[in-house]
Amino acid sequence: MDIKHNIVRRVFGIALVWGCASCVTVACADQAVRQSIDPENGLKSWSYEGEGLSIELVQVPPDFIRASYSARGLPAQLIETVARRCVFGTIVRNLADRPLSYRVADWRYVNEKGERLPIKTKSEWLAEWHGMGVRFSWSILADEPTFEAGDWLQGFTTMAEPHGSLLSLTVVWSIEGTRYEKNFPQLECAPPPDE
Amino acid sequence: MRKTSRNLSARHRLMNKAVFLLALFAGVAIAADGPPLGHTMTPVSPPLKAPEFILQDMDDAAHRLSDFHGKVVMLNFWATWCPPCRREMPSMERLYNKYRDRGLVIVAVNQWEDPDLVFEFTGQLSIAPTFPILFDRESRIAEQYKVKGLPTTYLLDREGKIRYRAIGGREFDHPAVEALIEALL
Repeated sequence: MDIKHNIVRRVFGIALVWGCASCVTVACADQAVRQSIDPENGLKSWSYEGEGLSIELVQVPPDFIRASYSARGLPAQLIETVARRCVFGTIVRNLADRPLSYRVADWRYVNEKGERLPIKTKSEWLAEWHGMGVRFSWSILADEPTFEAGDWLQGFTTMAEPHGSLLSLTVVWSIEGTRYEKNFPQLECAPPPDE
Repeated sequence: MRKTSRNLSARHRLMNKAVFLLALFAGVAIAADGPPLGHTMTPVSPPLKAPEFILQDMDDAAHRLSDFHGKVVMLNFWATWCPPCRREMPSMERLYNKYRDRGLVIVAVNQWEDPDLVFEFTGQLSIAPTFPILFDRESRIAEQYKVKGLPTTYLLDREGKIRYRAIGGREFDHPAVEALIEALL
């Protein structure tokens, strides 16, 4: 990592820490996105409710991925391909009284280098896993569901970014043909295991 | 009994338990308490014939869906690592106890997991399930039912047709769900 990148990252980090200190479990300057820190484990989460959608993104450390996937008997190669990524436990709920749908393929994030990138979808993960001879179909967030009123799901969203890095995520969904989007401006990937 | 016949080494059991606790912790980290459990189920219109299956339970006994023909069946796809699945299970047991004598069957179809791990999990629940838990080890049945995520629950009428669906955790002994079951019984 070059010096410039390090400085940018540090400034970004300080801004985030300052933001966290001022908004633990209360609304941040952006009133719609709430950030919390779980006092039990120190993990950070970001949540939003609006336009019929409830969504929460929770840091998932790589050790949790390894433990959880190992318990399922999944091969080490598969486990590492996920554990090396920036992972958020993502809980999505339809708060509307009409069907809500989203496509993870429409979501985009911007990393510390300013690159705007797609999220690897569940279908892409399953194609890879099935190619390895593993038929495990769970844990990754459903990529193209339609939720009826009251439906909700959770699963991992994964970005090919380093642990501890910062990114902004734009989530897109629709209700009866009307498109909505929400930006989460300062998500922080779970720190690496040795921090 | 299956558990007495199953011969796991002490080390394997210990490792299983440690990993299970870690997985539980991971689940907590992912969801905390999670969103409140709902109590709505969406009508499936028109009702669809539920695909037949044959799956084994913890004692290696085989069960077919058609074994339950003539009964109202709640078919729940779940896994131990899924926090809402764990949260809704006690309400399923309460519902089962209330309606089993009137013709309700609850079938919990576990995804991917080892029966030993599931056995340990059920022993830790405040209300242990008495309804059948079947094992869909490669999720082939979940695929047939087009399950997108866990938990997903279907309510089948006495003719074996899917009448209602719920994606995500529910309080199944809520009056709103009970009213649906009463209407199907």
